Amino acid sequence: MLQEKIEQIKEDFSKEISNIDNDKQLEELRVKYFSKNGLIASLFGLLKDASKEEKPQLGKVLNTLRSGLQNQFNVVKEQVSKDGSSKSIDVDLTLPGIERNIGSKHILTQTLDEIKSIFKGMGFSVSEGPELESDYNNFEALNFPPDHPARDMQDTFFISDDFVLRTHTSPVQIRLMQAQKPPVRAIMPGRVYRNEAVSSRSYCMFHQVEGLYVDTDVTFAELKGTLASFAKQFYGDNLKFRFRPSFFPFTEPSAEMDITCFICKGDGCKICKHSGWLEILGCGMVDPNVFDNVGYDNEKYTGYAFGMGIERIAMLKYGITDIRVFFENDYRFLKQF
Amino acid sequence: MKISLNWLKEYVDIGDMPVVELVNSLTMSGLEVEDYVDQKEIYKDFIVGFVKEKNKHPNADRLSLCTVSNGKEDLQVICGAPNVDKGQKIIFAPVGAVIPKGNFQLKKAKIRGVESCGMICSEDELELGDDHDGIMVLDDSLIEGTPLCDALNLNDVIMEIAITPNRPDALSHIGVARDVCALLGKELKIPEVKISESLGEASKFAAVEIEDVENCPRYSAKIIKDVQIKKSPAWLEDKLKNIGLRPINNIVDITNFVMHETGQPLHAFDLNKLAKQKIIVKSTDEETKFTTLDSKERTLPKNTLMICDGEKPVAVAGIMGGENSEINENTKDILIESAYFNPSSIRRTAKVLQLSTDASYRFERGTNPNITDFAAERAANLISELSGGTIIDGILDNYPKKIEPQNIIIRYSRVTKLLGYDIDKEKIKNVLNSLELKIVSEDNDNLTVSIPTFRPDIEREVDVIEEIARINGFENIPTISKISITLDKKTDETTFAELLRTTANGLGFYEMINNPLQNKETASVIGTPVFVKNPQSLDMECLRTSLIPGALKVVSQNIKYGEKDLQLFEIGNVFNKLSDKKISSVDDFTEKGKLIFILTGKSSKKQWFAKEKGYDFYNLKGMLNSFERKISLDNVLNDSYNNIESNFYDYFIQKNYKETQIGEGGKLNKDLLKQFDIAQDVYLFEYDLELLKSIIPDKKYYIEPLKFPKIYRDFAFIFDKEIDFETVRDFINKKSSDLLKSIRLFDLFEHESLGRNKKSLAFAMEYYSNKRTLTEEEVEKDFRSLITAVTNKFGAQLRGN
Ligand SMILES: [Zn+2]
Repeated sequence: MLQEKIEQIKEDFSKEISNIDNDKQLEELRVKYFSKNGLIASLFGLLKDASKEEKPQLGKVLNTLRSGLQNQFNVVKEQVSKDGSSKSIDVDLTLPGIERNIGSKHILTQTLDEIKSIFKGMGFSVSEGPELESDYNNFEALNFPPDHPARDMQDTFFISDDFVLRTHTSPVQIRLMQAQKPPVRAIMPGRVYRNEAVSSRSYCMFHQVEGLYVDTDVTFAELKGTLASFAKQFYGDNLKFRFRPSFFPFTEPSAEMDITCFICKGDGCKICKHSGWLEILGCGMVDPNVFDNVGYDNEKYTGYAFGMGIERIAMLKYGITDIRVFFENDYRFLKQF
Repeated sequence: MKISLNWLKEYVDIGDMPVVELVNSLTMSGLEVEDYVDQKEIYKDFIVGFVKEKNKHPNADRLSLCTVSNGKEDLQVICGAPNVDKGQKIIFAPVGAVIPKGNFQLKKAKIRGVESCGMICSEDELELGDDHDGIMVLDDSLIEGTPLCDALNLNDVIMEIAITPNRPDALSHIGVARDVCALLGKELKIPEVKISESLGEASKFAAVEIEDVENCPRYSAKIIKDVQIKKSPAWLEDKLKNIGLRPINNIVDITNFVMHETGQPLHAFDLNKLAKQKIIVKSTDEETKFTTLDSKERTLPKNTLMICDGEKPVAVAGIMGGENSEINENTKDILIESAYFNPSSIRRTAKVLQLSTDASYRFERGTNPNITDFAAERAANLISELSGGTIIDGILDNYPKKIEPQNIIIRYSRVTKLLGYDIDKEKIKNVLNSLELKIVSEDNDNLTVSIPTFRPDIEREVDVIEEIARINGFENIPTISKISITLDKKTDETTFAELLRTTANGLGFYEMINNPLQNKETASVIGTPVFVKNPQSLDMECLRTSLIPGALKVVSQNIKYGEKDLQLFEIGNVFNKLSDKKISSVDDFTEKGKLIFILTGKSSKKQWFAKEKGYDFYNLKGMLNSFERKISLDNVLNDSYNNIESNFYDYFIQKNYKETQIGEGGKLNKDLLKQFDIAQDVYLFEYDLELLKSIIPDKKYYIEPLKFPKIYRDFAFIFDKEIDFETVRDFINKKSSDLLKSIRLFDLFEHESLGRNKKSLAFAMEYYSNKRTLTEEEVEKDFRSLITAVTNKFGAQLRGN
């Protein structure tokens, strides 16, 4: 009989307390259950009718009930008092927040950062060199003989007979190898210049990253492995790639690396000129003549080198169709990245 | 270079290999096919049409309204070409056809209110030639409805191949065929030509002398008499047209044909225009004026290799013939030149003349000295066949020092060392044989290979290894999945710039990258610019001497776009010329890294919580201080100020380390800004990167946070207006005990109520010791003595008393 009442009170209390969401309701609940004339007190009142044997047992049950309900009550009370709706502060929280401006790196810098961090992870150092470079470092030391058609591959801005605006970052290879003995393992980012008419697809200045690794057992297979790993880290895991024979005076054999066009997934589109492939970099095994020019033993050492254009990579990655936007520095463009 | 598949098939049997596979094979072996046109595919929709009627378009004078039969029905077609006429056989493009030029699909259209069901095409629209003056009129015998490919024999595939500069051997159909043979394991078929053995009769008609043997190691010539100059037969014209050449006459066409067949450039002289019927090859000993066959008079410098007759120059060797010896419709007897010239001599002359021809392109890359006789005989045979001329027996062949094939030793071990995998020895030998690199001897470890003279690029063992790798396929070289990393010292020279960039970003600056090439006026605003000898345009004639002008151009441009509140930075190199001399060493110029910060417009816009405020000098100064603190340079640099207006700054700040200036900047002068079309205030600062980097401490040390309480004191004084903040601050620092650790200006107030030319400065001061807790008494004592000192020193009046 009493047990039934206890269960009934428990059930009602749970139901009622779950609907509480302000101080007023909470107070009503307290009066109903916990006050002198409340429901719990009335149950204790029934104790006097119980038998002597039952009394201690029932007393225990009622005490457990009271402390249990009291705990539930306290938890809800705490919640309700924390809740804004219970004690509203006069403030319009919908007003706009006060923002702070954080600048950003140029998208070319961000692209380069990503490339750098991948190669640093593969044990490469990072080196730099000047933009106004000697003809010797830019061409001759890299096995471009004077009067050779290979020089036509790179339209050059001449400063004088002996100095040029570097046409690639490769002269930094020469500087590095002149300064240290093998092993050499470095990437060399920097700005380069080409005497080309400015259009949406070409600019007279752009950025490259060059890579060089020279040691006693460097092979073409390792070059392929390293660049495949780079491409997967940079462009995504599911990518297909291929190496095609090509020509650069400072590497032999030379290759170009293509990856599956990520715009059309290889089906052929305007961007990949309907081939399904995108050329992303040039590479090869360092030509023995280059080693001769820096005083490395070309029997003992082998090496690989590679180079890629950062603008081209950023254009592909972010869908930029006009190279000139990189250098216009439109604030709206800069703020996008 | 364009290669015709049908033509290629004359030298190699490719069986029924699909075009796509051949193209892929070539690309993957280093002859990159950039594009190809399958004529059967692109012309599949076009047919022969017949113009049954031609009337005026009712609404347009220049248009004709034609009735064209496609063999099945009559269609109404509008045509704008002036040469369209009734009774013509024409190329008809039905609705749905894709027009090659512009790659668009033809739709049924209403033109000036009249419907047109198709189009009558010009050569140009079909990319069959460059005639776009009118429609292409076909032979009357063709039957309407015939597919165009059948009617015009358009069943070729034209490949555009990018030949790298090291592969002159591939600048011909036989050259490309040789690679195809190597790739497919086929036999190369070379046309049979009988080569005359001696001078024979030919020596009676002409003589060849080489004076400059160095630059012309070989000169061969054939003589053909009584030729008839006329139009070439269709097969020859079609071949040339397919690879983008314009047919001229049978003689010129054959020289072109043989060049594209064998790679050997040929030139035909009118024998009777050669004085004394003599050819003398020599370099000029003085500057010479000469009219080439494009009717341009050119000035040739001393030491230009020329072909002369008994009296005068008749051709610029290897580049272009002269007008004076050109063949024309009256020519009877001809001399075919087939020579080998020194590549760098030809390249030098071509560069000087800024003239690149199909011939010079091949000579400067290196032709095969040992096929000049073959090519001359081949041309002579064809000429006699097509022009009815008589080949004079014998060949004039001057070859003083024979260029012999060289031998190269290949070590199998080196192939493995370089490529990183073993290739089967038999496979290697097969590749070499297929490329005509003849194995002359071999043992277990080595091969000795004779390099044919058509491969001037193969000079060393490594060049042969490339050939092996290329034909065996780069895809067969393993892509290893593990690398070893050498444990030497790793450095990153870009970390400093990265720190600067990150810090600048934190302060709200966006990075810009500007073109260092500028016009003379812009580059001269600050320094002495370095000039480019061969600029793209005067707009990009100089290298920047400072980052400032470039940044101002960006500010100006952005303001025009409506972006007026800007916070920008750039890291880049600037260049200054040091002497008047031309640049011949690194001592004649400087290349320095710089960092520029630039502020303009509003620092905060009008918002619900704040008033609008513009950037000012103190924003700049404060940002620089924050920047320096972040890169560990707080309290390292000393600032000096200048508020005397110059034509650059209204006022500026210089930052120095000891005696060296690290950077400079301030509020720009309005006149300067006007040059850049900027009407709002601009604040900027430029640091020298190398100097900045050199003074940054390479290590930071931990400083234990203060354990003892601070004691604070404030005071405010009324000063004469001309007394500046720093003077007062420095005085307080000097006079106080070393328990005073910080002075902060918290109020600046100027008002009439203070008196004329007066101002109030209020200071908040922090006292503490790193070693103990201070007492109120000792601080109070110091504070009181400061009040007295400041009052006395500056005649200042303590406020609030
Ligand atoms: Zn694509």
